[in-house]
Amino acid sequence: MAALTMYPESERLSAGERAAFNLYMISAVILFVLMMLLGVIMRMAQGTWLEVPPDLFYQFLSMHGAGMVGTMGMVTTAVMWFFLRKYVNLHLWAFVANYVLFLLGALCIIGAIFLGRYAGLWTFLYPLPTHSMGMWPNASGAWFMIGYLLIGVGMLLFYLDAAAGLIRKYGNLGRSLGVQWLFGGTIDPEHPKAVVASTMVIIANSLGILAGAVVLVMYLVGIAYPEFKLDPLVAKNLTYWFGHMYINATIYMGVIAVYELLARYSGRPYAISRPFLWSWAASTIFVIIVFPHHLLMDYAQPRWVSITGQIISYSAGFPVFLVTVWGALANIHRSGMRWTMPSRLLILSMFGWAAGILPAILDGTISINRVMHNTQWVPGHFHFYLLLGVLPMALALMYHVMGSYRNQAPNSGADRLGLPLYLLGGLVFTLAFLAAGHLSVARRMSSHLPEWVFTDQMGAAGAILVLLAMIYFAARISIGLLRGPVSGHAAHAAA
Amino acid sequence: MIAGSVAASLVLASPPARGWLESSMSAQMLLQLPLLAAIGVCSASAIPAAVRGALARWDRWGISGLLLASMTSLVWMLPRALDAAVDDVGVAAAKYATVPLLIGLPLALSWGRAGFVLRGVFLAETIATCFRLGWLYRVSPERLCSNYLLDDQQRLGDWLMVIGAALFLALMGKLLLGRFDFRTDAQAQEGRH
Repeated sequence: MAALTMYPESERLSAGERAAFNLYMISAVILFVLMMLLGVIMRMAQGTWLEVPPDLFYQFLSMHGAGMVGTMGMVTTAVMWFFLRKYVNLHLWAFVANYVLFLLGALCIIGAIFLGRYAGLWTFLYPLPTHSMGMWPNASGAWFMIGYLLIGVGMLLFYLDAAAGLIRKYGNLGRSLGVQWLFGGTIDPEHPKAVVASTMVIIANSLGILAGAVVLVMYLVGIAYPEFKLDPLVAKNLTYWFGHMYINATIYMGVIAVYELLARYSGRPYAISRPFLWSWAASTIFVIIVFPHHLLMDYAQPRWVSITGQIISYSAGFPVFLVTVWGALANIHRSGMRWTMPSRLLILSMFGWAAGILPAILDGTISINRVMHNTQWVPGHFHFYLLLGVLPMALALMYHVMGSYRNQAPNSGADRLGLPLYLLGGLVFTLAFLAAGHLSVARRMSSHLPEWVFTDQMGAAGAILVLLAMIYFAARISIGLLRGPVSGHAAHAAA
Repeated sequence: MIAGSVAASLVLASPPARGWLESSMSAQMLLQLPLLAAIGVCSASAIPAAVRGALARWDRWGISGLLLASMTSLVWMLPRALDAAVDDVGVAAAKYATVPLLIGLPLALSWGRAGFVLRGVFLAETIATCFRLGWLYRVSPERLCSNYLLDDQQRLGDWLMVIGAALFLALMGKLLLGRFDFRTDAQAQEGRH
């Protein structure tokens, strides 16, 4: 079975593909280090270990949020591309165009923040991008939004190319998602999980990008035509539809690495099933309409929308999470797993996703949300599943590709030291956020009360450990990918 | 076909038809402009093969044609242009010339050359534009055209929202459950490799 070949020929990277893959991955690890550095500075400032003026703090927070979300989107797009190209025809130009537009968008965002002093955060709330009370000019808000638009257009180009490939092979997106097998029939055991997950992401995130394309342009219209006022609640709904969908999509793109790689390291096939197809079909719908769980404190929102937000937040990610984690545990149980860096990172990602989703579901409960939503509980939950769930999925692929160049999975002593450091730092960092949420520490505040400083300092200490580990990973991965395949050893990358 | 297109243009330009089609903002934008563009689309079959071949060299993958149609549409979406086309005969003449020739005709010629991605971008942008303009017309506190009243403008906003939603649902239905024939754009796809 092809899935159990560690480095199959179908994953061979041509010279052009390898260059594009390296651009994505090396840019991503460098950006992660830089964004983590900003995060460390902010946590140290909150912990009174550093003096950071409030205006600069909010610029850092804007850069950290937008930068992390964008980079997570970029790196998991590369994960999806790497595996999906085996099954359908993807054009390299679309993958490269996404990268170029991402970089242009990133430049606009960096310029808006560090030259234009934009500090309205990544999920700006109307009328913030344009009514800064003199903190930054309207042009900065405009450039920030243009940056988002460029990133969205790039991702849409990639998704359209992927959709074309899927439709050519499977007929339509319904069939590539596997809906023809939901109620019966014999499931094609060769139908790739990567195809199912990619279809879901294409459908759901394209809608989010469309919502963003509408509301961001309307914000820009508001700059040119100040008499035009948006309904703040509609603007917030659309902004969250776009932003929440975008960051959620990173999990579903990243998890493709688990589906594709885990079976190779466990040596046991990871078969597709009807519950798997049902969970992805259900999540395709639910994940599109789950964003109102971020608006439970908007009391002007119709009551039924908030209740829907709670119910859907229980059911949106849960089916996919359940079949994936259950499937992964069943797959590795007594399998004689080969514990190398890729497999360790894959299992870490399952833990990070599993543990990170629990505080998210708690926060999606209206009665808890009323108490917890404006506290550090929320950054606790999303840092948990992004840092310990999604990022390890992408790192696992990077290590796997490095292994393919040597025909041997990486597992050096430094790797074995770096990973526990990352895990320990990540746990201290995220649990400090969650503990602060438990203590009702407000989020998005540059200055903290003395009673809050202890958890800030704990978080800063954890963040420093994560940063050190990530610096090591970034150097190791950049060098490993740039070295490329060793002739005579590379199973699939000798182009 | 050319004669038919000219005749249709003349009928649309006749005072009774023009008066009725420009009597409201909704009619001008949602009936008159699409009818003029349709005349351009229908005229495409009358273009000689040699001319088509010459145009195709400047319209690889349909990018130039769809860009031209988009840019021209952008002009005729502006309330100021709609207003001027009612008040000024020169602008009206420009509308009768440019909408068929620079929107309808290039759309007909370029659509077949465009691949899935370009068509997708074009349709997504069309849907987004319907929602943006619809939103703008619905909530703008001022009349944007001096010839049309605020309620007419808001009605147009509602219609644009409905059209955007209908286009969106049709596109989603097609992508999820529809049938696709890629042979029509095989040539364009060939060119991508």
